[in-house]
Amino acid sequence: MHIADGILSNEVCLGAGVIAAGAIGLSLRKLNDTVSLRTIPLTGMMAAVIFAAQMVKFPLLLAPAYGHLLGGVLAAIVVGPWAGCVAMALVLFLQMALFADGGWLAYGANALNMGIVGSLGGHAIYSLISRRFAGPRGTIAGAVIAAWLSVVAGSALFCVEFTLSHHGAEFDIPRLFAVMTTFHSLIGVGEALITGGVVSYLLAVRPDLIDAPHQLPGAAAGLGRVVWTGAVAALAVAAFLAPFASEGADGLEQTADDLKFAALEKERPAPVSDYEAPIPGVDVSTGAWHKVSVALAGVFGTSAVLGIAFVLGRIARSKLVLREVEATHAG
Amino acid sequence: MPADFLDRYSFGNTICHRCPASLKVLLTVGVIAGCALIPVSYWPAQGCLACLVFAGLSLAEIPLAYLIRRLVLFLPLVLMTAVAVPLARGFAGGWETAAAVVIRSMVAFLAALWLVSTTPFDRLLAAMCRLGMPRLFAGLLAFTYRYVYVLFDELARMKTAQRARTFQPQSAWRTWAGTTHLVGMLLIRALDRAERIHGAMVSRGWRGKMHDLD
Repeated sequence: MHIADGILSNEVCLGAGVIAAGAIGLSLRKLNDTVSLRTIPLTGMMAAVIFAAQMVKFPLLLAPAYGHLLGGVLAAIVVGPWAGCVAMALVLFLQMALFADGGWLAYGANALNMGIVGSLGGHAIYSLISRRFAGPRGTIAGAVIAAWLSVVAGSALFCVEFTLSHHGAEFDIPRLFAVMTTFHSLIGVGEALITGGVVSYLLAVRPDLIDAPHQLPGAAAGLGRVVWTGAVAALAVAAFLAPFASEGADGLEQTADDLKFAALEKERPAPVSDYEAPIPGVDVSTGAWHKVSVALAGVFGTSAVLGIAFVLGRIARSKLVLREVEATHAG
Repeated sequence: MPADFLDRYSFGNTICHRCPASLKVLLTVGVIAGCALIPVSYWPAQGCLACLVFAGLSLAEIPLAYLIRRLVLFLPLVLMTAVAVPLARGFAGGWETAAAVVIRSMVAFLAALWLVSTTPFDRLLAAMCRLGMPRLFAGLLAFTYRYVYVLFDELARMKTAQRARTFQPQSAWRTWAGTTHLVGMLLIRALDRAERIHGAMVSRGWRGKMHDLD
């Protein structure tokens, strides 16, 4: 979702703008350094592809609604992080300057949340994972996990920007954070599925297009290793979310005590509880269960993403093996 | 894809369209920044800015129906964000913040819409170049703008072909896989096209430097 003008405060817009300008400027410089005559056609075309691909509607598997691709990770995987970052900046600029989607002052924040995090950060995660696990399975797992994380990180960044903008308003930071990240961890599953599907299709049809990082020697994709890494990642996400949740419970009571809000507090609607992982028989919105349920939601999200990565990897590998068999028979 | 899909109203001939593009960019950014800087308690100043924007829009002869259509798409998102502030306080306060968010984002949105629909994209780009946008970025934007039309057409052709091959709606999973293949194939075709364009550019003397867009 594009941030419109007026939602973030001027200082936050300025700060995000400076960071975004730095990242885009660095990417442009990197592009200029590695310049070949091909830079402009390839990067510009990649931006046009992302622009067009964002128009393609994907049916959500569970709900009668449509989602669409964000594309930062996909762009970075195909043309590299620097060109991917520039391509996302181009797409967001075009959407701002042609459709008035996203404010002019908030361009920095939009570019940061939706473009730079996905392309630069997403590519870092992707290359980390696909270097560890050789072969198509590693590439797809890297793409899927990076896509999911990029969406969640983007929403977390928006929360940070939004809270910084309204810090005078005694805002319930941890609750907003919990709602946004939990909700976007579901949206991120869609992004992960699309990115993983497109990457596995590319791997099967035109593997030369994928910018595969140099693989570490002896990197083999054993099942045990994948599961082990997945468990560690799930725990890491849970550990990342848990302090926010616990801070939420404590900070809430603190504010209530300070401002004598206790009577009001009881009537306050709790939007968080809709998105939390339900634990049967326990009221999730109270006490210590709050922190456990948010952490559990994180673990479920991570496990779902790992499952997608694993299944897509299997499909891709069987396709590749089939092709090799056919090739040997033909030869 | 109709040719006026993106620049629908920007080729008119009103006073707003004839105004120099860099002036319009500065004016728009000025209005948006002013709207963001003036506190909402000075509401007459905000009202003046809003009147200015409405005057600009009516001088540019942009149809009201178009504006309303755009606002209907835009307002729910903003309202959702704005209501988050009072909601977090149990509807006991924070309405000023919410009102400020709605007013500012509406004025800024309409101002940006005015700029976009009175200035053709290449003029806008040239103006922003003069105001200090990096040349490489502007060149890339021009290239992307040029080929967005081509890729939309390509996408429409591919969708037609896919519909022609698929007799009936399939299961959700198959639809999903088909759409994924659509995007993947679009990517492959576009990158191959970029290679061909690159070849054509080099053979016409491309040396890696964009010339003036004006």
